[in-house]
Amino acid sequence: MGKRISINPVTRLEGHGKIEIFLNDQGDVEDAYFQVTELRGFERFCLGRPVEEMPRIVPNICGVCPTPHNMASTKALDKVYGVEPTVTAKLIRQLQYNAFYVEDHFIHFFFLGGPDFVVGPNADPAERNILGVIQKVGMEIAGKVIEVRKRCRDILRLLGSKAPHPEGGLPGGVSRGITEEERVTIKETADYAVEFAKFALQLFKNVVVRNPEYLDLVLNDAYNLNTYYMGMVDENKCVNFYDGNIRVVNPEGKERALFDPQFYTDHIAEWVEPWTYIRLTYLKVLGWQGLKEGYGSSLYRVGPLARLNASKGMATPEAQAEYEEMYAILGNKPAHNTLAFHWARLIEALQAAEDMQRIAGDPALTSKDIRNMNLRLTKKGIGCVEAARGTLIHHYETDDKGLLTKANLIVATQHNAAPICLSVKKAAQGFIKGGEAKEGLLNMVEMAFRAYDPCLGCATHTLPGTMPFEVVLRDRQGNVVERISRGL
Amino acid sequence: MAPHKATAPFFIMASQKTLVLGLGNTILGDDGIGIRVVREIRKTWAGHPQIELVEASLAGMVLLDVITGFDKVIVVDAIMTADLNPAGFVYELTLDDLGEVLLPYASHALDLKTTIELGKRLGYKMPATVQICAIKIEENTLFTEALTPPVEHVVPILAERLIRELSSLNPS
Repeated sequence: MGKRISINPVTRLEGHGKIEIFLNDQGDVEDAYFQVTELRGFERFCLGRPVEEMPRIVPNICGVCPTPHNMASTKALDKVYGVEPTVTAKLIRQLQYNAFYVEDHFIHFFFLGGPDFVVGPNADPAERNILGVIQKVGMEIAGKVIEVRKRCRDILRLLGSKAPHPEGGLPGGVSRGITEEERVTIKETADYAVEFAKFALQLFKNVVVRNPEYLDLVLNDAYNLNTYYMGMVDENKCVNFYDGNIRVVNPEGKERALFDPQFYTDHIAEWVEPWTYIRLTYLKVLGWQGLKEGYGSSLYRVGPLARLNASKGMATPEAQAEYEEMYAILGNKPAHNTLAFHWARLIEALQAAEDMQRIAGDPALTSKDIRNMNLRLTKKGIGCVEAARGTLIHHYETDDKGLLTKANLIVATQHNAAPICLSVKKAAQGFIKGGEAKEGLLNMVEMAFRAYDPCLGCATHTLPGTMPFEVVLRDRQGNVVERISRGL
Repeated sequence: MAPHKATAPFFIMASQKTLVLGLGNTILGDDGIGIRVVREIRKTWAGHPQIELVEASLAGMVLLDVITGFDKVIVVDAIMTADLNPAGFVYELTLDDLGEVLLPYASHALDLKTTIELGKRLGYKMPATVQICAIKIEENTLFTEALTPPVEHVVPILAERLIRELSSLNPS
């Protein structure tokens, strides 16, 4: 009889999701699916609104990455109004964006994904969380994580009026300039962030890379997935979070596409499957080829490792050195090791911090020329940024009065949704055999998708109450064969 | 639907700082109930120097920034439960009612109990008392700014009850 294993809800992830693992009669994994409850009616909700309201509305879609939504929305407005932001405005926007990256990436590593490594995937689940990390690495370091986060949030609050929900977002510029006094604080925060980023990378290398057991885990085939990769790059094809063209490379690293995000519909298509509400994406030119990796696949991944894979390098020197070291150790570029998303995340945080230093030192930062007012309604705008989790696209169209007639969003986790299913399946195949579903094994499966840092567009802010975590094994008739629970 | 049984009014020491925190997402329908209740309180209540009203679309660790430094926090938020109570039912909860929490759901959606525990371990001043008014809702995945009728009905009732409680001061 075939069995079904459920992991519900998914721990340490934003939003509501469920994993279903189907076993065959031998008790080995046949298939795995990652199901998402989607938020509904967004387009309908937005229709008829003035398009300039969008930067204020979209941060509420997600309590985790409001800044990227706000930024993509603002850039879409630039296009809707046919206006190029001023030099100073771009610096300020990038400053805001980098501060968010630093904060978000560190929070993810230390609180979300890091516990798997720092405390250990086989540790007691009661320890394998942020409180366990604090125990293991010590109060001083935990305090530094909170401190770097606080300093970055202070910058976000300065520029966007409140973190994490930024307000404002104007076509052609920003609403608030920077003073020379603020520049000093910004530089101090940037320096602090660079030092902490270097420390975090050293910690990762000491704890993970130099530990043969962990390194084996990273290189393990159960956590390997051969896909295409997509990310935003600058004019030198180096990683850029805020602006640039989108570059796609194939599993061997050859450039497959390089396009202005305005033409995303020529390259990215959406696919509907009955078992999940999320619309899966794939490379249009290859057609939908199903859930498979490697040769013949049309799936691609986004996010930290994908960005590094899709680029020719990092845009800042210390991050570049770390990039080179990572690929040397992984032995391959592109690297297909899903757990290396965590490593790439730290390298990106370093680039974001170094870029903050560059911006803090730019004389134009404090100029009063923060807004280009030559607005001309074009009625269509596509704004694209790299959210921490991957490529994010906001597409708006309006009528002659600037009221929305269409809004389409492609969020990072959509791009990764199909690869997540595959990663879960592979991890499950590697660690669940003969129908055995022990606690540690289930966490190995969760590790596969936590690496993607997926954000399920959550309806956050409801009190979680109790968090039942139960795995139910059923036979083909639906009878319960076994229940495994934790936290109850 | 009338709210759950009234609790005894709590008394606020003159030196005690209290936060009334309305949580929710106002573009996801009934999810925004917490913020709506706090807005309703603001409309009619004169305020008090030791009591702060905050509306926040926040969850998890970010709440550390909001609740640090207060002696008492009253959280008003939506809740989804598996029991048979109808939408609009108001639960009076404490942190202990929230169950085992050593498995954080996510760093950004850490539940309140773990967030407070984290704050304590890091040496921040965390509230000694947390009172939770949780209003049952049934749907929070549909984009809309409107509340459903049973939940809308609770807004003025709960606001009035909280104002009565906030207005009771223990002078000693």
